[in-house]
Amino acid sequence: MEGKVIVITSGKGGVGKTTATASIGAALAREGKKVAVVDMDIGLRNLDVVMGLENRVVFNIVDIVRNKCRINQAAIRDRRIDNLFLIPASQSDNKDSITPEEMVTVCKEFRKEFDFTLMDCPAGIERGFENAVAGADEAVVVCTPEISSVRDADRIIGLLYAKKITPKLIVNRIIPSMVERGDMLSHEDVVDVLSVDLIGLVEMDDQVIVSTNTGSPLVMNKESKAGVAFSRIAMRLNGQPDLPVEIPRSHEGFFKKMGRKIGMRK
Amino acid sequence: MMLNDLFSKWRGTKKSSSQTAKQRLQCAIVYDNLEVTDDVLISLKSDIIDVLSKYFKIDSKAISLDIERSKDSSALVLNTPILSTIRR
Repeated sequence: MEGKVIVITSGKGGVGKTTATASIGAALAREGKKVAVVDMDIGLRNLDVVMGLENRVVFNIVDIVRNKCRINQAAIRDRRIDNLFLIPASQSDNKDSITPEEMVTVCKEFRKEFDFTLMDCPAGIERGFENAVAGADEAVVVCTPEISSVRDADRIIGLLYAKKITPKLIVNRIIPSMVERGDMLSHEDVVDVLSVDLIGLVEMDDQVIVSTNTGSPLVMNKESKAGVAFSRIAMRLNGQPDLPVEIPRSHEGFFKKMGRKIGMRK
Repeated sequence: MMLNDLFSKWRGTKKSSSQTAKQRLQCAIVYDNLEVTDDVLISLKSDIIDVLSKYFKIDSKAISLDIERSKDSSALVLNTPILSTIRR
């Protein structure tokens, strides 16, 4: 059976696309699938450092497109997780170095070799986005509960619909105590505004920074709430679409909560 | 201040910042979707000229088509002098 190509995108930068790509990719591989994560941020590559594979980069996606190497020559195997491969971006080229048409062709190859190919899309709606989306079968849009991020997500969702792709949404970096206090958009608010299907809710988690610091996979850390959430997203992508979406909740004590309810606390 | 907060909470008059955010966001998105590019406007104009020419003799150079925005609505405004009607 042919694999799937999924683009992970957001419009706005810095909302957690790269972390999401690395984590979902790792989780899918842990479920026994053969996974390629592709850094499409040509000129500004980062997926390699997030995954801790920066010392092993030889070839990159632009080399594959230009037929300088085969996919399996460029793919860096993750030694900690079987069946997980990284295709790095080129650091010396730019987004115009490849075309959407070329990506459509390359994606056909990826489908033959991998069960899942995750495209880490760059921020923006220009050529880099076009390249990342061109060959994709499905899309996951990442946003945070902030006005700017949700607005950009709306724009991206419109562009994806125009390409006949119905995206699914991840709301990332939710701070449950702020949502409960009414100082952060809730996931319901976000879904209401964007009217797309949710595929996961991810809580703000310090462990994301810790695991990025060391380049170790977030999903291998059982203590990490974000890691667990990304693993569940991977399960939903991997044939369990109805797995319930868990809503992050704060673990404030009863009295603190009651105090706030009656207005004694902020 | 705290007492004030307490009363406003009880009366439910205080709007949370997330509610404000949601409203602003919905407005922004509606506004974004109303934005029309010049290309669209130009091709719309030429289509309208075609249709109008079936019924009126008009000066296609004098026609003006614009989008006028007020605080809470957006209107398409077309202005054209009619030279004569076409009798059929």
